[in-house]
Amino acid sequence: MGKTARHLRPLAALLGAALALSTTACGGATDASTAAEAVDISGSISGQTINYWSMWKDGEPQQKVIAAAIADFEKETGATVSVQWQGRSNTEKLVPALNTNNVPDLVDGTFAKLAPVIGETGQASPLTSVYSYEVDGQAVSSVIPEKFTSNGVFKGEDGQPWMVPYSVSSDGIWFDAAKHPELKAKPPATWDEFIAVLNKLKAGGTAPIAADGDVAGYNSTWFVTALLRLKGAGSFKALVEDKSGEGWEDPAVLEAARKVETLVKGGYLNSGYNASKFPAQQQLWANGDAALILNGSWTPTETGSYAAPGFEYSSFQFPAMDNKPASARVDFIGFAVPAKSKNQVPAQRLAAFMLSAKYQNALGTEAKVLPVRSDAPVDPAVASVKAAIDAAPATHLQNDGVTFPGFMEKVFFPKDDELFLGKTSADEFIAKMKAAQIQYWKDNS
Amino acid sequence: MTLHLTEPRTGGAPAQSPESLKPAPRKSRRGSRPGGSSIDVQRKKLLIPFVGPAFVLYTVLFIVPALGAVWISLHKWAGSGPMKFVGLDNYGRIFRDQLFLSSFGNTLLLLFVVGTAIFVLAFALTLVLRDMAGKKIARNVIFFPHLINALVFGVLAGFIFNPGGIVNSLLAPLGVTDPPKWLAQDNIFPLIMVTLVCTTTGYFTTILMAGVDRIPPYYYEDCALAGASAFQRLRYVILPLTWDVFGTCAVLWTISSVKIFEIVWVFGGSSGAGVPPTQSWTAAVYTYVNAFSGQSTPAYGAATASAVLSLALISVLVVLLRRAMRRDAVEF
Repeated sequence: MGKTARHLRPLAALLGAALALSTTACGGATDASTAAEAVDISGSISGQTINYWSMWKDGEPQQKVIAAAIADFEKETGATVSVQWQGRSNTEKLVPALNTNNVPDLVDGTFAKLAPVIGETGQASPLTSVYSYEVDGQAVSSVIPEKFTSNGVFKGEDGQPWMVPYSVSSDGIWFDAAKHPELKAKPPATWDEFIAVLNKLKAGGTAPIAADGDVAGYNSTWFVTALLRLKGAGSFKALVEDKSGEGWEDPAVLEAARKVETLVKGGYLNSGYNASKFPAQQQLWANGDAALILNGSWTPTETGSYAAPGFEYSSFQFPAMDNKPASARVDFIGFAVPAKSKNQVPAQRLAAFMLSAKYQNALGTEAKVLPVRSDAPVDPAVASVKAAIDAAPATHLQNDGVTFPGFMEKVFFPKDDELFLGKTSADEFIAKMKAAQIQYWKDNS
Repeated sequence: MTLHLTEPRTGGAPAQSPESLKPAPRKSRRGSRPGGSSIDVQRKKLLIPFVGPAFVLYTVLFIVPALGAVWISLHKWAGSGPMKFVGLDNYGRIFRDQLFLSSFGNTLLLLFVVGTAIFVLAFALTLVLRDMAGKKIARNVIFFPHLINALVFGVLAGFIFNPGGIVNSLLAPLGVTDPPKWLAQDNIFPLIMVTLVCTTTGYFTTILMAGVDRIPPYYYEDCALAGASAFQRLRYVILPLTWDVFGTCAVLWTISSVKIFEIVWVFGGSSGAGVPPTQSWTAAVYTYVNAFSGQSTPAYGAATASAVLSLALISVLVVLLRRAMRRDAVEF
């Protein structure tokens, strides 16, 4: 005992010292001040520097457009932008950084990724000044379509917007217009017309719908969009928020599940969709082995390298139901400024700068994505999606904006997968979801 | 020299009389000086400069974060912003979560079922490889899969098992028109288990072979003279003489199996672009999804609670394993 104790004592002293060291090193930076106010961003920013953590990687089409914009921004304003082209994991890296005083001044990402980590945690600066800042002689708020902002999606708890979108993505049911000109001429507008198209394709020996069934996010689009068609944008979120789970008893919810069941039981999905690995099915679709695929507005860029020769991308919207106006899915990609950033003014100015027509046009024509400004031209491959967004009376987010911790991954996706992969019926799905949701809120309220 | 094949191995701690546990004999051995022998004094002086830096680094980089994780696991926290103290709620919640239990079950399947398969195969290969011509090449070949990034297997699984993949293309000429749905959600975890056996067996075989190679050849000659079968050779020569190596391998496997993550991540869920199906989750995947799924508000409290439980599991298992496998090393 005596010997070990003599050895332990200095070790214990060391441990104590090390603990003290590390706590002082990390201490003090944990509590974030969240009471940030909008700042005046109109002054000169010459000589100032900002750190920007980008969601794009060097060489990506969007990166090239943003890099060009930054070069112009530096020339015009005299500010310096130090960029890290981090890629999509920038939001994961942002989370730990927000607990220190060493935060980036500007980050970008999809709304779905930024909202949980910076928007809803009160860690973002209000960007009200960006919205009122003028680019090309117009206020930013007037170049962003009103239907994108009118539902208050960018507003934080303080009622001020924390995100400025510069690009959007959407979805559609994609097809090869060279092979199916009839779909381009007259896309199915209602669910019944859609089923008629599927029957015709099936009778003609073509697999009607390709689907990468291993991507739960793609599978869920069918049920969620069907529900939004029946009950309107925001109805899925309202359904999920219901702690009693009673909402699942609504006949319209069952109806949405039945629509998915129809696709599965009707044999409209390409055989093997339930046992393959992404991107096998979308490759097969791009090769012309299946006619339709429900996927994002990124489909032309993602499948372009292996599409059959002469493939002409076009899409129609998820069909309307019950004569109700159909909202278009619009997911936002944009900037946020961490509240702890010490270079608020230049960071917010750069966010506004990306809304200039020059870079918006470049996003549409060079990067071939959808710019947030509706007056910006786009590539023909995504023209059908843009037309649908422009025409839609309202918009909705992917998964209707549901971000409750773990709900999608642990509660909804597994059950929805069972429905879409043909393992449960619509009625079983409803019953299981109701029970699982009640349990979820019991554990998480 | 002969090995006494019939002599029982000593199980557990070497038998000691109660007297020998008393400090008295040790004290007398060290001499009567109060500070111990001069060597002891020197050792003590060197303890801090030698152990200190490593100890401080280890504490700062491993122990403090581990304690930090325990602290976070007592909170409801989105990774940044306000933390809300919830006590042991996170633990209670993950124990009530069917998904955590099934993920944990999968981790145990990997640990025990895959582990058993790996060591049975590794010992079998050890027996075969010892006498085989070209055993060096064979050893390299079976070790090779361990060098390959798990991502490759994830991508390969698609090529091999997709509906239009290699396996089904090979089966088609044989008249199999309705092949099994290899990559269906329920089949992914068994496939992962098989892949892990294939990739890890070579690694442990190599380590065990190194132990086996130390065994002097005259024991085998002795076995041959005594007419021992291959199994008897394993039972009475190889196992006892490589027991310490095997014990280390078992601990290594225990530690690594509880952390298995990337192969699950890339096998399902579109090679990492999405979340794999819950049927194939392990405790490590459960932890990751709670903190970093990117699809919902991070739940760092629940994530760290599940990580802390995994750490506790490893610790308990390693201690139990060391106890169960404790033998006197046979000196030869």
